[in-house]
Amino acid sequence: MTTTNDPKAADGATRGAGTPPGNPRSGPPDGSRPGWRRLFGPATLFLLPALLFLGVFLAYPAVYSVVRSFFDASGSQFVGLDNYARMFTDDRTLTAIRNTGIWVLVAPALVTGLGLVFAVLTERVRWATAFRVLLFMPMAISLFASGIIFRLVYDENPDRGVVNAAVVTVHDTFASPSEYPGARPRGEELAPDTTRGGFTTTRGYEPGETATLPLVGIRPTDVPEQAVQAADPEPVGDTIEGVVWLDVALGGEAGVIEDGENGMPRMTVDALQDGQTVASTTSGDDGRFTLTGLEPGEYEVHLAADNFTEPFRGLTWLGPTLITPVIISSWVWIMTGFAITFIAAGLAAIPRDALEAARVDGATEWQVFRKVTIPLLGPLLLVVFVTLMINVLKIFDLVFVIAPGSVQSEAGVIALQMWQVSFGAGGNQGLGSALVVLLLVLVLPIMYFNIRRFRRERS
Amino acid sequence: MNTTSQQSPSVVEVSVSGAPRRGPASRLVSRLGSGTLQTALTLVALFWMVPIIGLLLVSLRSEADNTNSGWWTVLLKPTEFTLDNYRTLVDNDVLVQSFLNTVYISVPSTLLVVGIGALAAYALVWMDFPGRDWIMVAVVGLLVLPIQAALIPISQLYGALGIFGSITGAILFHVAFGLPFAVFLLRNFFVNIPRDLLEAARMDGAGEWRIFRKVVLPVARPALASLAVFQFLWVWNDMLVALVFTSPDSAPLTVALRSQLRQFGTNIDVLASGAFLSMLVPLLVFFAFQRHFVQGVFAGSGK
Amino acid sequence: MSARTTLHHSRLLGGHRLLSGAAAALCLTLAATACGDGDSAASGADLDGQSLEIVGPWAGDEQKAFEEVLALFEEQTGATVSYSGAGDDLQTVLQTRIQGGDEPDVALIPQAGLIEHFADEGVLVPLSDEVVETLDQNMAGAWADIGSVDETPYGVYLKVANKSLVWYNDELFAETGAVPPETWEEFVELSENLADVGISPLSVAGADGWVLTDWFENVYLQTAGPEMYDQLAAHEIPWTDPSVEVALETLAEVWAEEQLMLGGGSGSLQTDFPTSVVNVYSDDPDAAMVVGADFIGGVVTASTNAAVGETARVFPFPSTGGEGDAVVVAGDAAVAMSDREATMELLRFLATDEAALEWAAIGGFVSPNKNLTADDYADPVLGQVAEQIVLAGDSVRFDLSDLQPAAFGATVGDGMWQTLQDFLSDPSDVEGTMERLEAEATRAYGN
Repeated sequence: MTTTNDPKAADGATRGAGTPPGNPRSGPPDGSRPGWRRLFGPATLFLLPALLFLGVFLAYPAVYSVVRSFFDASGSQFVGLDNYARMFTDDRTLTAIRNTGIWVLVAPALVTGLGLVFAVLTERVRWATAFRVLLFMPMAISLFASGIIFRLVYDENPDRGVVNAAVVTVHDTFASPSEYPGARPRGEELAPDTTRGGFTTTRGYEPGETATLPLVGIRPTDVPEQAVQAADPEPVGDTIEGVVWLDVALGGEAGVIEDGENGMPRMTVDALQDGQTVASTTSGDDGRFTLTGLEPGEYEVHLAADNFTEPFRGLTWLGPTLITPVIISSWVWIMTGFAITFIAAGLAAIPRDALEAARVDGATEWQVFRKVTIPLLGPLLLVVFVTLMINVLKIFDLVFVIAPGSVQSEAGVIALQMWQVSFGAGGNQGLGSALVVLLLVLVLPIMYFNIRRFRRERS
Repeated sequence: MNTTSQQSPSVVEVSVSGAPRRGPASRLVSRLGSGTLQTALTLVALFWMVPIIGLLLVSLRSEADNTNSGWWTVLLKPTEFTLDNYRTLVDNDVLVQSFLNTVYISVPSTLLVVGIGALAAYALVWMDFPGRDWIMVAVVGLLVLPIQAALIPISQLYGALGIFGSITGAILFHVAFGLPFAVFLLRNFFVNIPRDLLEAARMDGAGEWRIFRKVVLPVARPALASLAVFQFLWVWNDMLVALVFTSPDSAPLTVALRSQLRQFGTNIDVLASGAFLSMLVPLLVFFAFQRHFVQGVFAGSGK
Repeated sequence: MSARTTLHHSRLLGGHRLLSGAAAALCLTLAATACGDGDSAASGADLDGQSLEIVGPWAGDEQKAFEEVLALFEEQTGATVSYSGAGDDLQTVLQTRIQGGDEPDVALIPQAGLIEHFADEGVLVPLSDEVVETLDQNMAGAWADIGSVDETPYGVYLKVANKSLVWYNDELFAETGAVPPETWEEFVELSENLADVGISPLSVAGADGWVLTDWFENVYLQTAGPEMYDQLAAHEIPWTDPSVEVALETLAEVWAEEQLMLGGGSGSLQTDFPTSVVNVYSDDPDAAMVVGADFIGGVVTASTNAAVGETARVFPFPSTGGEGDAVVVAGDAAVAMSDREATMELLRFLATDEAALEWAAIGGFVSPNKNLTADDYADPVLGQVAEQIVLAGDSVRFDLSDLQPAAFGATVGDGMWQTLQDFLSDPSDVEGTMERLEAEATRAYGN
């Protein structure tokens, strides 16, 4: 096999992050404390192990990725910026960049906020530990298992997915399901009615005529219990007589009422003239109905839409539109425990006297929170926030597990894209490395922000 | 604190006189508060628990029952409860060895990360040398490096060193990838330790090592404890690194559990019971360290 | 942080791995080697004290069964063999181990394309003459080219899958008086009749792109014939060829009819593979049939209360225009990554009747070995399935999407998978689908 790993890459790595500072030198700010000058020795010792690890395991691969991103899939051919060009012209990568943007904007702030609120609130309850353990538990489950849980939780089928089960239960207490969901006409008598829903006959009927309207698409066992054998309607002078029945006897002929074919009771049937409903009735147990009170003329028979309304089955949580919010919600569920734990540890470290002093001074809890707690927690909140943000950039397995294959391209994020490109069936380390570089570039604003903060702290 | 002291006179007056300006609302909150707060938090906790309860119930039903109906229906049909999923897992003798392997990997990784991270963070905060900001910035930047990006280069390295397939290899990798967060977290925590504490120790003639051990570490206990818990957790639940860098003899629990997966089933029975089994240890660790968070409070406030 | 917690990529490599099957055919390529009837039993070569390592995709029951097969080899030769299952991360594991110079002796590779990839990288050791000879004796001629790259034999196909099957729920069929159809017309008519009586005829796992490519491959093999199939597989004819149009339009006869698929097109796109099986075989089934390979039987056994051979039965994928017995297959091939006598001896063993018989008796296994009969299989349904493959002889065709560059044929959310998923959601757009397939294929081949 080929390896692209040229010695320069390794060199660069050690230089990049690993090199210990050169000369012990104390600048003006520290001049007042000559003791610090001697500290360079211990500083090296303290830092050395960490720098070794970071240099070998992180900085070197980072540099390796940069170099590798200029080579093709096999690693033997220098291709310049081709991988980058490909990356930015690929729809999937662009979607992934957009999704990663959404993630970074929404998820870390949400989790930090929730963590702060819960950490502060639980400070005042006796069972704070229990609460924190509960919220910590999701962290103790592997991301893969968590992904599986949420696939289950958000399953579209209300028989399996608890969210849709709840949604459907609530919905059905307000709206009762229809009698014949999914039934559809057989033959030419009826056609879907595009304006008012349901089905309307394709021809007109005059009073004295009969309408036989065959329907299919329902299991015979799903017809209401009171249904009996369907019967042909008898023509009567000034009414339209008709029948609606389930035309599905085995081996039966289409459009003919046969033994064993039941009527469809309680079907709402309307007579239409010029698009207006002029009469309405309900079918009997044998499926027969009578439309009365009709002037002479031609009428269409209409089976109302609410006979056929499909039962409400909840939302397609894992479909293309909701998938990113859904995955974000699972991530929030997992990571809130992380935020709470650190923020609670930070709160615990805040000297009680500071809070008490403020309270004694009569500050409201809100004031104490805003003016004392938050500033003291500041650096820690920042750590949590930045860590979450960076964690979000690296998200991939959660997306991979939760999003069904058909919406993976809609749900994609950069890290997942990188993983699939590098180690998926294609195995293109060159393009994958370009995506790693993109991730590294995306973290630059965060780094810039941190530099400024370090500077400020220093002064 | 400065910020609050300015307003304090008026507020004190208000609350002492009892004249309702702002007081009543906040007092109402604090009186009603604990009741409402308790209820609200209970609701949140219950809500948060739903997926885990689901997972638990799933793990206590057979695969066929799980595919037939939602897990909540088992509450109406308790006869479906079974421990078979767990029995199958525990019967596997590979599991014991892999459990030990997991411990051998997680414990050293955690200790090393906390130790090395604390040393580095101490140096970055309390020692002065050129370029220390830049090191910090590099650490933050490296946080974002996805683990996958390191697999190939580190494989080459391990191949050259001959530590492929060993527990050591896995530990070193975990330590390295745990460090950026550790350094970042501890550095920001150490920054808040009052300088006087250190100066006092220094006056007493303590060296850096002594200050680090006797002053900084005790004060930082809550942060160290939380860091340890999470580092432990991440290593404990890792599968990717283990899959690549360990051999069957040194494979941890996640990899062993995975070998129970059927190629095409939903596998929810194995996954759910496996997730619960492997969750136990991290939870115990959390409980154990929870005490240290609390002790940290006293340590902090004592000063 | 979290990125290093577990992952499992059932969809990364796609369910594809299972598919590799019909490949081997090495005998043909090395026709020069005497295909005589040498000893078929293990040679009993003395490999005392040698140890071998195998990495493969199998886990769970498959791993256990394979380890029993390996135990037989250990017994005969005195070698020690250790197997580790990398599951869906197989490619990651192999790639990193190769980079680290720590290749296993033998790898089991589920995708024909991957064999080519590794062969090009020079990691694979060609099969020795003895192994080829054993293959010659035991496997049909059509198992040729796929295990070879540029005429050099590399792979021993061990475990294969028959992908030209339709599984049905016999209770629902009995209830409605339905009988298994033989032709595509009968199949569509049966589906319509089932829909009329309120039973969703088909559960389609549209969330998993490889399920849809299997549909397409079966229909294409039927409508266009094996020769065209080979040409399309090699991209010698474009995807805008009229034969593709015919196949897509044939597919649309089912895919465009919402009532023929459980949940319609959009519901199908939310259904993953195991769920599609459960939909047909749960206690209260929602659909009557699911198109798919023999390994559906494993899902039925593991995830439902239905019994394979009773409620769960199969009929061959319906034929069109008399191209009756063509079968789409897939499978896992063993390849050598070390140049050792013991490695070759192991590969030779895996090609023997003995190895196949051992696993067939355990179950959950279909062998391309022509010396096995249906009676050798523990599971009668699999026996039937295996026989169909052996009978098809030279008409077996390897899963077309597995023969494509992975970017086109085996990537979640891209290439063939995504295009067919989009076609499922809008089956009227035959033209656009063809153009997109051609564009993506060109791009993938161009690399």
